[in-house]
Amino acid sequence: MIGVILYLLFAGLFALLLGTVLPLLIRREDKPVRTVSLIATALGSAFLAVAALPVLFSATTVSATLWHLLPGIDFTVVLDRLSSLFLLILGVVGLADAIYSFGYVEHGGHPMRRNLLVSLMNLFLLSMGMVVLAGNMVQFLVFWEMMAVSSLFLVLYDFESEGIGRAGLFYAVMTQLSTVFLFIGFILLYGETGTFALVPASPLASPGALAAFLCLFLGFSVKAGVIPFHKWLPYAHPASPSNISALMSGVMLKVAVYGLVRAVLDIFALDFTSGAVILLFGITSAILGIIYAYKETDIKGLLAYSSIENIGIIFSGIGLAVIFSDLGMPELSTLSLLAALFHSFNHALFKSLLFMTAGSVVAATHTRNMEEMGGLVHRMPFTAGLFCTGAIAIAAFPPLNGFVGELMLFESLFFGLQVVDPLTKVLLIFALSLFALTGALAAACFVKAFGITFLAHPRSDRAVHAEEACRSMLIGPAILAFLCIATGIGSFQIFSALGYDLPLPDMLVVGMLIVVTLGAVVLVVRATASRETRVTETWGCGLLSQNGRMEYTGTGYSEPVVTIFSSIYRTEKKIDRTWLDPDRAIVAGTRAGISLIKFFEEYLYLPVARGTLAVSSLVQIFHAGTLDTYILYIFVSIVILVLGVGWFI
Amino acid sequence: MTDVSFVDGLVRFIFVAVLITAAFLLSTRSLPSLLRTYQLQSLLLAMLAVVFSFVEGSAVLLWIAILTVVSKVLVIPYFIGEIQERISIRRDLEFHYLAPASSILVSIALIIGVYLSLGNILSSAYAKVEPIFFIGAVIGISLMLMGMLVIFSRTKAITKVLGFLSMENGVLLFGICVTELPFIIEVMIMIDLIILILLTTILTVGIDSTIEAYNEKVRQYSLWTVREEDAP
Repeated sequence: MIGVILYLLFAGLFALLLGTVLPLLIRREDKPVRTVSLIATALGSAFLAVAALPVLFSATTVSATLWHLLPGIDFTVVLDRLSSLFLLILGVVGLADAIYSFGYVEHGGHPMRRNLLVSLMNLFLLSMGMVVLAGNMVQFLVFWEMMAVSSLFLVLYDFESEGIGRAGLFYAVMTQLSTVFLFIGFILLYGETGTFALVPASPLASPGALAAFLCLFLGFSVKAGVIPFHKWLPYAHPASPSNISALMSGVMLKVAVYGLVRAVLDIFALDFTSGAVILLFGITSAILGIIYAYKETDIKGLLAYSSIENIGIIFSGIGLAVIFSDLGMPELSTLSLLAALFHSFNHALFKSLLFMTAGSVVAATHTRNMEEMGGLVHRMPFTAGLFCTGAIAIAAFPPLNGFVGELMLFESLFFGLQVVDPLTKVLLIFALSLFALTGALAAACFVKAFGITFLAHPRSDRAVHAEEACRSMLIGPAILAFLCIATGIGSFQIFSALGYDLPLPDMLVVGMLIVVTLGAVVLVVRATASRETRVTETWGCGLLSQNGRMEYTGTGYSEPVVTIFSSIYRTEKKIDRTWLDPDRAIVAGTRAGISLIKFFEEYLYLPVARGTLAVSSLVQIFHAGTLDTYILYIFVSIVILVLGVGWFI
Repeated sequence: MTDVSFVDGLVRFIFVAVLITAAFLLSTRSLPSLLRTYQLQSLLLAMLAVVFSFVEGSAVLLWIAILTVVSKVLVIPYFIGEIQERISIRRDLEFHYLAPASSILVSIALIIGVYLSLGNILSSAYAKVEPIFFIGAVIGISLMLMGMLVIFSRTKAITKVLGFLSMENGVLLFGICVTELPFIIEVMIMIDLIILILLTTILTVGIDSTIEAYNEKVRQYSLWTVREEDAP
C-alpha cells in the first residue's frame, strides 16, 4: 500500500515537473504544447489527490528519503494525515483548475507568454506540493521561496496593464517579508532543537521556542493575508489571471495555514496567550475582511477580500483549538481544529470555484467592474449557476459544505461557553458575536456579488455582448461545485469515516428535508397562485426611457452598510460647489466625491516605508564614491573581525 | 648541522627586517626606494622559506622560495620599474586619512592587537611550544593589514599596487608559518600577481599616475560607467 502511495506521489510530482519543462523546451506557439502541459497538470494533480486520500482516511504516515543533501539535511518526503489533507486540496483544485485553464489560457496574451503561464502554473503547483510534503526546514524554505517566486511571475503575467506593476511590487515585498520571518523562526527553532527536522521529537515550550513561534506565526500570517499583513492580497489576486487567482486563493493561502497548523500541533506546545493572539488576529481578519469585501465593486477584489475573511475564520478555529487544549478540553480542541481544517478544504473548493467563474465573466465582458455587468444569467446561464452554487456555499447556507464548517466553529464556541471561566467566556462571547456578524455580512455580500453581476438587465454594452464560456471553463468549476454539494451533504459520513464522532446533524437528512420543503412550497405556490401574467415595465419615476443606468447598483446596495460602518471604512465625502453669482444663490455646478482612507496603508505601511527610507539615507552617507574610503571600510571591518574573533573564542 | 639557537636568531632577524620593510612601505615617499623595499621584503621571505625548508627538510618550501625569488624579486619589480620609467614620476607625496607617523602608530597597535587575538585563537600551548611559528603568524597577519593600510592611505597607483603585493607577502608568511598552503595555490597566486602587474602596466603606462586620473582614463574608454555627479 505504502509503495503504491509513494509511486503515485512521485508520478504526480514528475508529471508536474514535466508540465513545467515542456512548454519551455518546445518553443512553439500553437496550442498542442499547452494542451499537453495542462494534461500533465491535470494528471499530476489527480495523482497527488489519489495518493493523499488513503493516507487521510487510514491515518498512516508515509515517508521516503530521496537523497542526502548534506550531513543532517536529507531530502525527505513526508505524508501524514495533516499534510495529506492539504495535498488533497492541492490535487482537487489543481485538477479543476487545469481543466478550466484549457479554455482560459487561450484568452489573450502572446502565445509564447501563454506557454510561460502554463509552465509557471505547473511550477507553482509543484512547489506548493513540495512545501506540504517537506520533511525538514531547509526543504520547506526552498520550496516556499520557489512558490513565492513562481507566483510573483504569475501575478506579473499581464504586466503592461495599469496597476499590475504595483501589485507585483507589493506582493514581492510582502512575500519576502514572510520568508524572512520564516527564516528567523526556523533558525531559532534550530537553536532549540539542534536538528533541521521539521517536527521535533517532542513539542517545545521554552521561551526561545515561543520567540520562534512568533516569527513563524508572523511569516505564515503574512502569506495567508491576515489583517494587518493583508495588503498584498487585494492587489495580487485581482491582478493575476483568474486560473492563478483560484490557485493562489484556494491553495497557496492554505499552504500557509498548513504551516501554522503544523507549528501549532507538532512543533510547539502553546499556552492560552498564544491561542488568544491567534484567535484575535483571526476575528479581526474575518470581520474587517468581509466589511471591506462588501464595499468592493471589482468582482475579483471582492473575492480577494472575502478570502481574507475566510482565512480569519480558519485562524480563529486554530486559535480556539490552542485555547481549549490549554484549558484541558481535548474534545472541544479537536472540534475547533477540525472546523478550521474542514473550512480550509471548503474554502479551497468554493473560492476557487468563484474565482474561476468570475474569470469566465471577466473574460466574457472584459471588465472587472460589477457595475458594468448585469443580466449575465441570460447570456451565461451555466456560469451563473456555478457561481450561484459557490456563493451559496460561501454564504454558509445548508446543506452545502460552507455551512457545515462554520457550524462546527459555532458549536465549539457554544460548547466552550458552558465550561470556561468568566474571563474566557467574555473572549468567547466577543468572538461569537463578531462571527455572527461576519456570517450575516458574508451572506449579504454574496447576494450583492451574484445579484449585481448576473441579474437584472445588462448595465453596459460589454455585458450585452457577453457569451457563455467554453466547455472546459464550465467543466472545471463544475467539478468543484459538485464537490461543494457532495462534501456538504456527506459531511457527517465523511467525519465518521475519518473516525471522528462529532456533534453534527446528518446533512443528508437535512438536505432531504430542505429539498422536500422547497418542493412542497413550489407545488403549493403553483397550485394556488393565479395563472394570469401581466407584462409591464417597472415604474421609472416618470422618465420615458429606461436603461441600465437606472438599475439598482452595487454601490447603492452597499450604501446602508457603508454608512453604518463609516468609522471603519473611514470614508471621506467631499462636495465642491461653484456658484454663478457672488451671493451664492444660483448653483452652477457641483462635484462630489467619496474617497476611502486606506487605514492600514496610512498608519502601518507608509510609516514603515518612511522609516526604512530614513535609515537608508543614513546609510547612504557611507557611500562616498571613492576607492580609498571603501578600502578603509574593508580594513576596519577586517581589524574588527580579527580582534573580535580573538576576544570571543 | 644547524645550530638551533642560530636558526632561531636568524628567523627572528628576518621577522624584524620584514616588519621594518613594511614600515618603510607605509612612509617612504620616493617611488624607486619603495620598489627596492618591496624587493627586499620578498627576498627576506624567500630566505625564511629556505631556512625553514632546511630545518624541516621540506622540498615544497624550497620550491616556494625559488618561485618567490623569480617572481617577486625579479619579474614583478622589473615590470614596475618599467612603469616608473615610463610615467616619470619619482615621488608619492600625498596621503589619505593617515600621515606616515600616525600610520606607523596604527601599525604598532595592530601588531599588538593581532598578537593578543591570535594568542586566544591558537591555543596557548601551541604558542609556547612553537613560539617562532606563532610570531610568524602574527607578523604575517599584521603585514597583510599594513599592506591594506598602504592601499588606502596612499594615492599613487603604483604605491597601491605595492601595498597589494605586500598584503600577498603577508599571506605567504602566514602560510609558511602556520598552515602551509598547497604548492599549486602558491603558484596560482603568483600567476595572479603577475597578471595584475601586467594589467597595471598596460593601463598606466604613459598615461597617469593617480587613481583619480586613472578613473578618468577608464571613463574615457568607457570601460566602466561612472555617474556624472561622481565626477570631480
